[in-house]
Parts: sequence; structure tokens; C-alpha cells
Amino acid sequence: MKVIELLAARRDNWRELEKLCQQWETPLSGRPGAVQVTRFAFLYRAACADLALADAYHLPPTTVEYLHQLVGRAHNQMYRGRGFNFAAWLPEMLEALPRRLLHDNSLRLAFVIFWGMFIAAAVLAYHSPAVADHVLGKDMVTGMEQMYDKPIEGRDADESTAMAGFYTYHNPGIGLQCFACGLLLGIGGLFITISNAAILGAVFGHMAATPQSDNFFHFVTAHGPFELSAVVLASGAGMRLGFSIVDTRGWRRGAALRRAAREAVPSICASIVLFALAALIEGFVSPSALPYWSKAAVAIVSTLLMLFFLLALGHARRSTLQLDKNSATG
Amino acid sequence: MTDSRSPLDTRIEIVTPENIAFQYRLAGPFARLPAYLVDLALRIAVVLFVGFMGMMAFGVAGVPGIGLGLLAVVGFVTEWFYGGLFEALWNGQTPGKRLFRLRVLTAEGQPINAWQAVLRNFLRGADSLPWMCYQVGLLSAASNDRFQRLGDLAAGTMVVIEQRVLRADMVRIEQPEALRLAAQLPPGLIVSRSLARALSAYVTRRQMFSWRRRIEIALHLAEPLRVSLGLPPRTDPDQLLCAVYHLAFIADRLSEPPPPTRQSEPLVFS
Repeated sequence: MKVIELLAARRDNWRELEKLCQQWETPLSGRPGAVQVTRFAFLYRAACADLALADAYHLPPTTVEYLHQLVGRAHNQMYRGRGFNFAAWLPEMLEALPRRLLHDNSLRLAFVIFWGMFIAAAVLAYHSPAVADHVLGKDMVTGMEQMYDKPIEGRDADESTAMAGFYTYHNPGIGLQCFACGLLLGIGGLFITISNAAILGAVFGHMAATPQSDNFFHFVTAHGPFELSAVVLASGAGMRLGFSIVDTRGWRRGAALRRAAREAVPSICASIVLFALAALIEGFVSPSALPYWSKAAVAIVSTLLMLFFLLALGHARRSTLQLDKNSATG
Repeated sequence: MTDSRSPLDTRIEIVTPENIAFQYRLAGPFARLPAYLVDLALRIAVVLFVGFMGMMAFGVAGVPGIGLGLLAVVGFVTEWFYGGLFEALWNGQTPGKRLFRLRVLTAEGQPINAWQAVLRNFLRGADSLPWMCYQVGLLSAASNDRFQRLGDLAAGTMVVIEQRVLRADMVRIEQPEALRLAAQLPPGLIVSRSLARALSAYVTRRQMFSWRRRIEIALHLAEPLRVSLGLPPRTDPDQLLCAVYHLAFIADRLSEPPPPTRQSEPLVFS
């Protein structure tokens, strides 16, 4: 058979496949019916066969090019992304994540570095105002002092909502930046963690030494645990990425990075959840006129919640789901 | 999954579960830039729209703060989750990528899953350094063979171009000189694969060249062909290639008399 006849015989099939692709590529087209799927699969296999035999058929390069594109397009409609599978995320977040975090050296390192630097900066800034000026800059120091001049008397719900929204926008952004910078061989993550810890520690240390210290702690106590833990968690997740490229544990660097990245996603998601909770508390509880003990109670409860997540869920016995998996493989 | 690339081409070969190898064109930074800008504009438009509507609605109600809070939350979601959500739900495409026919796939050519979509967009924070100029991402894309930025490397993804070329038809030869020449050629002419490829590449593109240029290009192939076919030296090289092309791809061999070599073959079944 001559090439031109072959093309004439196949053209209708290709056009039909093309039309189905076009139809399915429209995002809101709905699910195709069973008949359509079967027809699509048939046409796709036929196009694949034509492409495989293109060389034997002496098909011209333009047609081969066309077939590459058609098969590629149909392939992407045939094998589609599954979207979000939230049913699988829940055990991942509540079972696998705490267990992983409990044994995560990057998280330990981030924790030690962050709190070490925080306490060091706080002690230094407490004893010498020059340190705070140096770390934070004069303007920020005076700004902070003015901000906490007035006692916390509460503000209306309207302003609180605006501020909660602002914190939701601002704080997880910093966390995600920490995470992303960890990818730069871990050095970017170390740098950002240390600088964040130094700034926050200097603020705490300096404010503790000023007359406004009561107002300051009145404001920061309630949301502090969630927010600072979220920063540590995000930094740890980022360092995990960065260090995986350096210490590959026998994997190739690319594979080690992909493995670490897969495991870092739940961590950074948890960090965003913590940031969001902190933003809610910072928006509504922290500036309210509630007595100090209630704010301290919020801080204690949130710390206990995180400890429960890490220790209780992390040490929890394997769930039935994973027992099944183990018995199936073993 | 195996892949092989020709050294100077931005194509990547994918082997499907059907055991068919097909090629994608990879999308480099400058194919992705317009899609990125469209997405950026769309994100800004959404934030402005929500902000405007929120301020209007809640401002009239006397609580503009709720509108502001809503605006900030929408700003956060569009900044960090826009790409991840769309790529997970739209099979690897955002509206901008859809407009420019780009798609995110795994490095093996499979569809991406949700965590890959989310991760590669979270890591924009590193790629867009310094100051949203994407220098790190550009450097990373330039130093590997799939134009992967850091987020792509970590998530194991790549971006391909889904072209749509609608022409699969063959060029037909209509000029009478070429058809006349084709009739003079020996009907049993066997055209090898590489010759067929060269012929069709030439015939598809010859319209783009001037007459002199055609002669110059065609002569490389036409001269040895002319000698081996025993044609007179004044044969037009352009028309000769068209004639051989016609014979190889279009002319109906069955309607012609069988080649003489067949007749001299022994009849084995007699």
C-alpha cells in the first residue's frame, strides 16, 4: 500500500482522537462516559501502533511529528493526575508525620539552632541595649517600644479580623521562604533560621528590659508557642531538603533530594497549619483585654497539643492500616 | 523508563505503558515566562477583584476590617497555592500554562500527583531568588537537560510543550514536468528509508525557497540520483526530486506494469 493511501485510511481515526482530546482537555467538560473511554483507548492504541510502525511505513517526517504530538496529547488525557486524595492525607499527617518528626535530625538541629540563637540574642539584648540596636536597627527598636506603650485593652472584632488576615498572609510566607531556602544546600536554611532567631531573640530580650515589658508579654504569650514552633518546623523541613543533597545516604543526589522532598511536604503543611492557628490567636486572643493568666493558659494548651502530636502520636503503635500493609508484604 | 535525547535538541523521549516511544518538546525558561506572566496577572486580578468586592460589601456593612482580612487570606492562598491547586486539579496545567499549551509531567512523562504539584510551587521561594528575578531557577534550568528549576528537581517534574500541528497531510506533486519525469523513471525503483526521509523533508519545505536556492539544495541529492538512474545531464534537480518523491509516496504502483525483474524470476510453484 502506498503511503498516501495509508494516510487516507488512518486520517479519520487520528482526527477523531484529536477531537476527543480537545473535548477532554476542557477542564469543566465533565466525566466522559464508558463508551467514549473505550473508543478513546482504541483510537489511542491505534495511533500508538501507527507511530511505532512509522519508520516501516515510510511515513514522512511531518506526519511522524504530527503523530508524536497526537500520541503525547492522548497520553496525557489517558493517564491523568488524580487531584487531591484527602483520604490518604489524613493518615499521612496524623500517623506518618509525627513518627517521622520524632526521629528527624534536621528538626532537632533546627530546634537547637533556633532556640540556642534565640536565647543567646535575648540574653545579650537584655543586658545591653546596644545589641538590640545593632541587631534590629534604631528605628525598629523605637517602633517596638512605641507599639507596646499602651496596655493591651482589646480592640474591636473588625480590626482583629483584618489583623488575623494580615498575619495569615505574612507569617506562613516567611515560613515557606525558610523552607524554600533550605534547599540551597541547607546553608540558606541555616542562615535564615539564625537570622530569624537572632531578630526574635533580640526583640524578646530588649523588650523584657524596657518598661513596656508587661504589655509586650501580654501580647506575645498566647500565640508564641504555635508561631515559633511553626518557624522551627519550616526551617527543619527546609534543612532536610538541603542536607539530603549533601549527605545522600548512598542514593544519587537527585533521588535523595526527591525522597527528602516527598517527606518534607507533610512537615511544611503542618507548619502552615500551625501558622494559621497562630494567626487566629494573634488576631483575636492576643490583643484582647483578657487577663494574663488566660493567655498563658492558651500558650500552655497549645504547647501541650503540640507535645501530644509529637510524642503521643509519634510513639503510637502502628495503625491497623499499616499492619495490613506489613502482613501483606511480609 | 528509558530516555534518550539527541544532543542538540530540546526533545525528550517517553516510553509509554503501551511500549511506544514518543517525543515531547521540553519547555525552556522562555517558553514558560509568558505562561508565568499570565498566571501572575490572573493572581493579581483575583486579589484586586476580591479586595474591591470585599471592601465594598463589608465597607457598606460598616466592618471594613473583615474585607481587609479576607483580602489578606485570599492574597496568601493565591500566592502560595494557586499553582499547586491548579496543577493538581487540571492535570498539570494552570490557566497560563493551558493558554500556552504547557503541561507539567513527572520526569518520566507520567501525570503528576498532588504533592508534586504543591511542592514544586512551594519551592518557588528558592527559585525566585533574588527578589523575584528567578536567577536561581534560571541557573538550575540551564544546568540540567530538562530545564528543571529547583522546585522541579525536588518534585521530580518537568514542563513540556503540547503542540498542536493540525497538518498531517502529504504534499502532492502537481507540476506536469515532475509527473512526466516520474513516468520515465524505472517503476521498480526502491526508495530506502533515509532517502524517503530526505525526499519528504525537501518536498515539504521547497516552497519556502527561491528557484536558485532549490537547485542549489536539490543538487546534492539529485546529482547522484541522476547518475544512478541514467538520466540526461540537463535534468532539472528540483523536478527530479519531486518525481522520485511522487513515485515513492504517491504514485500507485499496482496500476503500473510489473517490473521486468519479476518476469524473469523462476516460477517456483509450476
